Amino acid sequence: MLSRVAESIFWMARYMERTNRMLRMLHTKYVSSQDEINDFSWNSVLQIYSDKPEAEYKLIERDSPKVLEHLIIDRDNNASIINNITRARENARSVQDHITKEVWLCLNEYYHLIREADIEKNIRSGDPITSLDLLIRHGMLYNGTVDITMAREQSFNFLNIGRFLSRAIITIDLLTIKLKEYDYDLEKYADDPSWRFLLYSLSGYELYNKRNRGTLDAGLVIQHVLYNTDFPHSLLYSLNRLSRYFERLKTESKPENFAQLEFLIGRCSNNIKYSNLTNNSKLLKEFLPQTRNELLEIASTFNKSYFGNT
Amino acid sequence: MEGHPLLGKYFEHPEIWDEMFGNGDIRPHYKNFVSAIENLSSEEITRKDEQAKKLFMSQGVTFTVYNSGEGIEKIFPFDVVPRIITAPEWIHIENGIKQRLKALNIFLKDIYHQQFIIKDGIIPAKLIYSCPNFLREMMHVDVPFDIYTHISGVDLIRDYDGQFYVLEDNLRTPSGVSYMLENRSITYRIFPDLIPKNNVLPVKDYPDRLLKNLLSLSNTQKSNPTVVLLTPGMFNSAYFEHTTLARLMGIELVEGRDLVVENHHVYMKTTKGLEKVDVIYRRVDDEFIDPLVFRPDSMLGVPGIYWAYRKGNVSIVNAMGNGVADDKAVYAYVPDMIRYYLNEEPILKNVPTYQLADADNRKMVFANMSKMVIKKTNESGGYGMLIGSAATKKEMDNFKIAIEADPRSFIAQPIINLSSSPCYIDGELQPRRVDLRPYALYGPDGVDIVPGGLTRVALREGSLVVNSSQGGGSKDTWVLGS
Repeated sequence: MLSRVAESIFWMARYMERTNRMLRMLHTKYVSSQDEINDFSWNSVLQIYSDKPEAEYKLIERDSPKVLEHLIIDRDNNASIINNITRARENARSVQDHITKEVWLCLNEYYHLIREADIEKNIRSGDPITSLDLLIRHGMLYNGTVDITMAREQSFNFLNIGRFLSRAIITIDLLTIKLKEYDYDLEKYADDPSWRFLLYSLSGYELYNKRNRGTLDAGLVIQHVLYNTDFPHSLLYSLNRLSRYFERLKTESKPENFAQLEFLIGRCSNNIKYSNLTNNSKLLKEFLPQTRNELLEIASTFNKSYFGNT
Repeated sequence: MEGHPLLGKYFEHPEIWDEMFGNGDIRPHYKNFVSAIENLSSEEITRKDEQAKKLFMSQGVTFTVYNSGEGIEKIFPFDVVPRIITAPEWIHIENGIKQRLKALNIFLKDIYHQQFIIKDGIIPAKLIYSCPNFLREMMHVDVPFDIYTHISGVDLIRDYDGQFYVLEDNLRTPSGVSYMLENRSITYRIFPDLIPKNNVLPVKDYPDRLLKNLLSLSNTQKSNPTVVLLTPGMFNSAYFEHTTLARLMGIELVEGRDLVVENHHVYMKTTKGLEKVDVIYRRVDDEFIDPLVFRPDSMLGVPGIYWAYRKGNVSIVNAMGNGVADDKAVYAYVPDMIRYYLNEEPILKNVPTYQLADADNRKMVFANMSKMVIKKTNESGGYGMLIGSAATKKEMDNFKIAIEADPRSFIAQPIINLSSSPCYIDGELQPRRVDLRPYALYGPDGVDIVPGGLTRVALREGSLVVNSSQGGGSKDTWVLGS
């Protein structure tokens, strides 16, 4: 497979995973903002998902419609959802022969959907949840279309590598946002009700609730988000999937490239597997950025050894 | 034409050859088709027309127009009524194009080697050396099998007496062949059974024939040489054609950044490392293909590819430097080339062409500007062109100033009344002007022309410009078997 094609598919998947996770998170965050906390601020979200300097986004951090507009449909924000979708579509367009027609059409429709006037209107001055719901549903359609139509060959492997790499990074990001909001004080906020929002934004509340029978506890939530391999957005699950799809590249790789990445992915996933951080905020504070860096290193090694960008 | 509801307003023009009507009646080769549609209501034909549009859209047969960074897909307008060519007409065209390409190929070999044609005084040296598409870099480069024009699209038009003329030889990267294939596949969807009943020759093996030629150009002993199609990328208006051809031939579609040159060999970058490339069907123009030799700012080419080519390590289709043979001023000498190299009389005529570098010609053309078409020698797509009969005084004056400043870059031709062909417009058949571009493949076994081609049509009433960039569309082209 051409390096450029593999790279485009990888990035298409990454942009789409970002889009889907971000939408879910914004949905939860918006609902919670309308609900309970008096002194609500989007600061922790903007820190990660705005490309503007802090002085600029500080001006809007307490204005939900403005923040949503900035994060969803603002073309001047590089990390906005509309830019993610546009880039996913551009990547897909150049590799139409290697993805299915259905996947291409789905992305094309997604792009047209987010540009609709109604979506914008609801975000600006109507009910943002209507817009978010529509977008989230289309994101699920994309995931289903990929799973049901794509042939299980090279392109599907690269697609999933991109997908699970991004998912792992985003899970770390969302947990970090939450911990920052609590200032890493796990004792004080051990049973804070807003832990629930982290689970909502990772689509993991139902499973958590079933396993833990209504006890909301910081340690259990972190355990769930990092280690629960039955939970498709946990860090460990994402890493397991990542290695699984990576293993499938073996016959189509240069041995030295494969060995290098096998080492990086294996190390990262074992570091997670054999860690025990559930109640240790000091360790978490180090571990999360360190794991994130390891994931970025995996991405840049793919870039070098598989996508030919030396 | 009375008696036919669809043809009610169809009229014959004494100075224009009509493909369907002649001497007050429907020409015999159109009778079958007309009798198949004359009983259809106009709603039914309109429905077919709309169905065709939908098929183009849903099958992604589009070209992309870029506005404000985001692509908008448009379809190339398609007319449902096919253009029909009889077997004897086709044999004439086929022989004419084969003869012409043979001569043009020898010309290219000659002009980039010994240049006998200049030494024998057939073509002035000045004309060749002043042609911007004459590549000094191609001097004494030996190309496989001495073939330069592997793929060409010769544009033909028809004057009022039914005589075919060659308007242009496109020998560089002619486009449109995917529309020839798509138009046919749309026709059998909207007119079931009509194609077999009319004994229309098939065009669908074009990709197979092309691939066979490409494989045979490989200079290696490999049983399975690597052939790729080099595209400028998805922003190119013909990108759809590039993806279609690559898919139909089962070869990899690559961009310049996918290729690297090492030790004068060309490789493509794959996830498994570098893979050697033997044959490149390129759709990137000469001046962009190697930034180290041609335009240094080109992002579309591959640095070093020229030297790999020159050393014979990779075959490039079409050869570089072909532009000197389809230059609009050199065009005037093609009949002489045929006589000089082949010792034959040209089968297909040239449109009389006046080079404006000649002072007498200039004087004559300026005096008769309203009867002339003036073209820039180095432009295509219907740009840089003045049609005297439709130009304003001011446009003519502007052209005169431009010509005086750089006479080598202009030629003039008398206005040829392109033949007309029926088109389904506003619920009835109306005559519109057409040309014809058959696609010829030149391989080690000789010239091979798929029976058919692209009929382009000027959809605006009275217009003579068929280019898609200027409001043109296309038709399916039927060549009937004998």
